[in-house]
Amino acid sequence: MEQDKYLCPYCLITFESIQDLRRHIVAEHKTEPLPVSEGQIKLTINGEDYQIRVEPEWTLYYLLHDKLGFTGTKMFCDRGACGSCTVIMDGRPILSCMTLAIECDGKHIETIEGIAKKEHPLIEEYVKYHCMQCGYCTPGFIVTAKALLDRNPKPTEEEVKEALAGNLCRCGTYPQHLKAVLVASQKLAKHGR
Amino acid sequence: MAEDFKEMPNNPLEHDKYAPKEFKVLGRRGITRIDGYKKAAGKAIYTRDIQLPGMLYAKFLTSPYPNARISKMDTSKAENLPGVRAVLRYDDPEVFGRRVVTTYGGCEDMLAGYAYFEGQQIGAVVAADTEQIAREALKLIDVEWDVRPFVLDPEGALRSGAPLARPEWADNNLNEVPPSPLSEVFRIGNVEAAFEQADKVIEFKAVRRYHGGADTELPCGIVRWEGDCLELWLHHQHPYEHKWTMHKYLGVPMNKIKVNAPYNGGMYGGWNWIAYSQIATGITAILAKRTARPVKWVFDRREDFVFGSADAMVTYFKVGANKDGTISSVKLKSFYENTGFWAETHLLENTRIPNIEAENVTARVNKGPTIALRCEQLPGCFVMAHVFNHVAAELDMDPTEVALKNDGAEGKDINYLNKFKRKHGFPLRDSLRECIEAGKKAIGWDKKWHPAGAKELPNGKMHGMGFIWSHEWDDNRGAGVAGVFIQQDGSANIVAFRTDIGVNAETTYCQVVAEELGMKFEDVFFRQQDDVYLPLMTPDGSCNLTTNSYVLRKAARKAKRRLLELATTEVHLIERNIAPAFPGMQPEDLEVKGSEIFVKSDPSKRKKIAEVVKDMDGSMNWGLEYAAIQCTTHAPVFAWAYHRQGRYGTEPGRHRLCRQAHFCEIEVDTETGKIEIKKIVNVNDVGKALSPEAVEGQQYGGTYMGIGRNLNEEYVWDPCSGVLLNGNLLEYKWATMLDIGEIETIIVETGMGYGPYGTVGIGEDVATITTYLLESAVFNAIGKWIDDGPITPDKVLKALGKA
Repeated sequence: MEQDKYLCPYCLITFESIQDLRRHIVAEHKTEPLPVSEGQIKLTINGEDYQIRVEPEWTLYYLLHDKLGFTGTKMFCDRGACGSCTVIMDGRPILSCMTLAIECDGKHIETIEGIAKKEHPLIEEYVKYHCMQCGYCTPGFIVTAKALLDRNPKPTEEEVKEALAGNLCRCGTYPQHLKAVLVASQKLAKHGR
Repeated sequence: MAEDFKEMPNNPLEHDKYAPKEFKVLGRRGITRIDGYKKAAGKAIYTRDIQLPGMLYAKFLTSPYPNARISKMDTSKAENLPGVRAVLRYDDPEVFGRRVVTTYGGCEDMLAGYAYFEGQQIGAVVAADTEQIAREALKLIDVEWDVRPFVLDPEGALRSGAPLARPEWADNNLNEVPPSPLSEVFRIGNVEAAFEQADKVIEFKAVRRYHGGADTELPCGIVRWEGDCLELWLHHQHPYEHKWTMHKYLGVPMNKIKVNAPYNGGMYGGWNWIAYSQIATGITAILAKRTARPVKWVFDRREDFVFGSADAMVTYFKVGANKDGTISSVKLKSFYENTGFWAETHLLENTRIPNIEAENVTARVNKGPTIALRCEQLPGCFVMAHVFNHVAAELDMDPTEVALKNDGAEGKDINYLNKFKRKHGFPLRDSLRECIEAGKKAIGWDKKWHPAGAKELPNGKMHGMGFIWSHEWDDNRGAGVAGVFIQQDGSANIVAFRTDIGVNAETTYCQVVAEELGMKFEDVFFRQQDDVYLPLMTPDGSCNLTTNSYVLRKAARKAKRRLLELATTEVHLIERNIAPAFPGMQPEDLEVKGSEIFVKSDPSKRKKIAEVVKDMDGSMNWGLEYAAIQCTTHAPVFAWAYHRQGRYGTEPGRHRLCRQAHFCEIEVDTETGKIEIKKIVNVNDVGKALSPEAVEGQQYGGTYMGIGRNLNEEYVWDPCSGVLLNGNLLEYKWATMLDIGEIETIIVETGMGYGPYGTVGIGEDVATITTYLLESAVFNAIGKWIDDGPITPDKVLKALGKA
C-alpha cells in the first residue's frame, strides 16, 4: 500500500512524496537519509559522476588505474617519491598512490585522460618538444603542470622548475618540459582554454 | 644476388659512402614522433597497465639475509589462505635443481633454495587473486634459514679466510666467468721502462660505489596459456628472444609462442635484470599452467633494487707523463664487485698511449649481480677520466690540451687514424678538435678555466670547471629482419617486431623508409609492439639504429623496385588484362617523391602511389563483403630484407672515429659541501643526426642520469647485517629538475659513423661518460681530489678537512 504522507524524523514536518522528504533532509539537516552501503563513495572524475563501493585499503591510484581503467595515472616509486600518480583533486595536484579512495567521497578528480580530452595545449607542446622518451612518467608531469597553470597562468621558469621538481624522470627529459610548459602558458594567455 | 643492393657495406670497417646529397625526411626537425601523443595523453599502454580476465598475481619470496640457505620451509599456511591459487616451491619437481640459460648466456637457478644477497627472489612464489593476498601469503611462509657469514667488499672477499659469497658455486670468491675478464694481466708496450723515462709519475686510487636502480615501470610480465600455445606480455628489452628462452625452459615450440611487447617504462640494459626477468616469466608460466589462469608477476620498488652497474669497482693507478702533456704509460689494477669488465678499453680505443698494463680482478660479494646498465663502458670511462684528470692537474695543463695531445687509437696517434679514414672512405675530419672547440666556445672555457682552487666567488663558493671526453660508441653489432608493405590505399607499414625503450626509434625507422621509398613521412607507419614474427635488432648497445636502419633501407629500396615494376607491368586477370599505370615505361624511367610516382624525363606525368597500388578492377568499391572476399587483383607491394651489422662489438681494427666532449661549470659550497651545477655543455659527434630531437633527448637525458649517479646514486648496505638500507626512491636519489642549472647541447656531424648515412648511436654514451664529469670540476674548484663516486657533500667536507 502506498503511503500518502512522509514524516521528517528530525522536525516532524510531513511531505507528499519521499523525494520531497529526502530533499528536505539533505537541505535542512545536512545528512543523507537513505541507507548507503558500506564503503560506497561518489566522486566526479573528469566531469563524470561515479558511484562505487571501495575497500578501505584501496588507494585512489588503485581505484583509478586498476578498477576504473584510467591507466594514464602511473605509479612507479610506490611511496610518494616520483609524482607519476599525480591527479588533480579539487584544484590541487595530489599523489593518488598516497591517498585512500574511501576518503575521496564527494571529490572532483581530474586525470590525464580528462586533460587530453579537453585538448589542453600542454599535450601538443609536450609532443612538439619531445618531453617523453619511455613516456611512463609523462602523464604525471602534465597533470602537475596543468595544476600549476590553473593556479598560476604565467609562471616563471623558476616556478615551473619548482612545481615539477617532485616529478622524477629516469630518461632525464627535464629541460624539454620547461620549454613545453612555458610555451603552453603563452598559448593559454593568447587563446584562452 | 641482383637485388642485394651492392651499396650496402658488407665490410663493417667500411664507411657508408652512398648517402644521398639531399635528405627529404631524415635529419629534419619538427617530425611528429609517433609515440608522442599516446605517451603525453596517457594512452600508451605498458605491461603494468594490463589486466586479463581471471588474471592472478604472482609474488616471490625474498631473502632477509645476504648469504643463507633454506634448511626447512613450511608453505601450508600460505596455501590455505583464501584467494591463494598456487604456491610453487624451490623443491617442486618443475624447478628443483634446474639451472637455465638466459639471453646473455648466464646460467641461473630457476628458483634457488639459497640466497647470495639480501632481497634476492628465491624459495617460493605465490599466485593469488590479488597482489595483496599474494603479499599476505608470503608472510605466512615459515622458513628456517641456515644463515652464513657474508662479505661486501671486493678486496676483502679475495683475502684468505674471507667468507665464501657463493658457497654453492665455487670454493673461492674469484669470478672469471664471462663476461668478466680473466685476471691475467693485459699488456702493450713496457710500462716499467716508460715510467723510468717519464717526466712525472703519479700514483693514486679511485673508487666507484655500487649503483643501479633503473626503470620507472616496475618489473612485471604476464603469461597466458591457450591450450598448448603460450602468450606473453613483457616489460623487457628482448621480446623475440623470449621465444627462445621459453622454448628452452618449457619445451614449447617457438611457432606457438606469441609475444606482446607493450611500451616499456624505462629500459636501460642491466643484463642481470634481463636474466631475472626472463626466469620470472618462465616461473610464472609454470604457475599459469598449474592454475589454468593468466598470471602476472610483479615486483614492488624495493624488490627492484637487486642489481647494479658494471663499475662497482676500486682501481689503483700508476701513470707516467711527459711535460708536453703526452701520456706515456698507464698501469692499472682494478677490483670489481661480482662482474668485471676490461678497464683499459677506452685508453686503448681513444689514445696514443703506447704502454698500458691492466689487471682486472673480479670478486664475488654478497650483493646483487652487476653488469651492463647504461652501460658496460662505465669502467672504461671511469679509468680514462681519472687518468686524464690527474695528468692534466699534475702538469698544470688545460685538460682539453692534454686530450688533444693524446687522441689516437691503439697506441698510435691521430695520423694513423687519418690514414685509416682515407683507406675506408671516411671524411677526413678531426672529431675531437671539433667537439672541444665547440664546447669551449659554448661554456666560455678560455675565460673561465683556472688553476685548481684559485677562484673564490663573491658568494663565498668555490668555482670549478670540468671536462671529460671519449669516443662515441655504438657496438655496431646484431642483425635484423623487416618487411615493408604498401597497403591498397597507398600507405606503408613496416612489418617487424621490436620493443620500445623511448628513443623515438619507431619514428626514425619510418623516416628511413619514407626517405628511401620516396614517400611522405606521414604515409609510413610502424606498430613495433605487434608480434609479426620478424625480429629487428633489440635496443642494445646503442646500435639498433645503425643495424635496423640498414635493414629498413634495404627493404625500402626493394619495395621501391617492386612498386615501380607494378607501375610498369600489365596485370593479367582471368578474363582480361589491365594496362599498367605507366604504359611503355621501364622501372628505371620512373622516380618516386612525396608519395607520387613520376616520369623522370617528364615530371608532369605523375600518379599517386595510391592510384598505382589499388585493386585494379575496383572490387574494393563494390561493397564491404566483396572487398573482403576479393582482396586484391595483384600481388601486393611487399619486400623484406635482412642485414647483419658486424660480428659483435668492435671488429678487429675497426676504430671508433667519432668523439664526444662534455664541459661543466660548478660552484662548491665549502660550508655545506653541496655542489651546484650551473651549466653543462654536451658535444657529441653523432656522424649524422637522423632525428636531431632524439639526439638532443639522449644528450639531456644521459646527462641527468650521469649527473645523478655522479652526485648521489649509491646503494648503501648495513655493514653489520648486509641488508640494503636505501632500496627506495626517497633515499636512493635520482637527479631531479633542480639538480642542473642549464644544459646546452651541440650536435657535431662529421659523417664518420659506421651506420647508414655515416651515423653512430648515442643511446648509452652520454649517461655513461657524464657519470665521471664532476671529478675534474670539483678538483678545479677546491684543489682536492675526491676519487670516490658518488661525490656526496660529506666527502667534499672531508676533503676540505671539515668532517
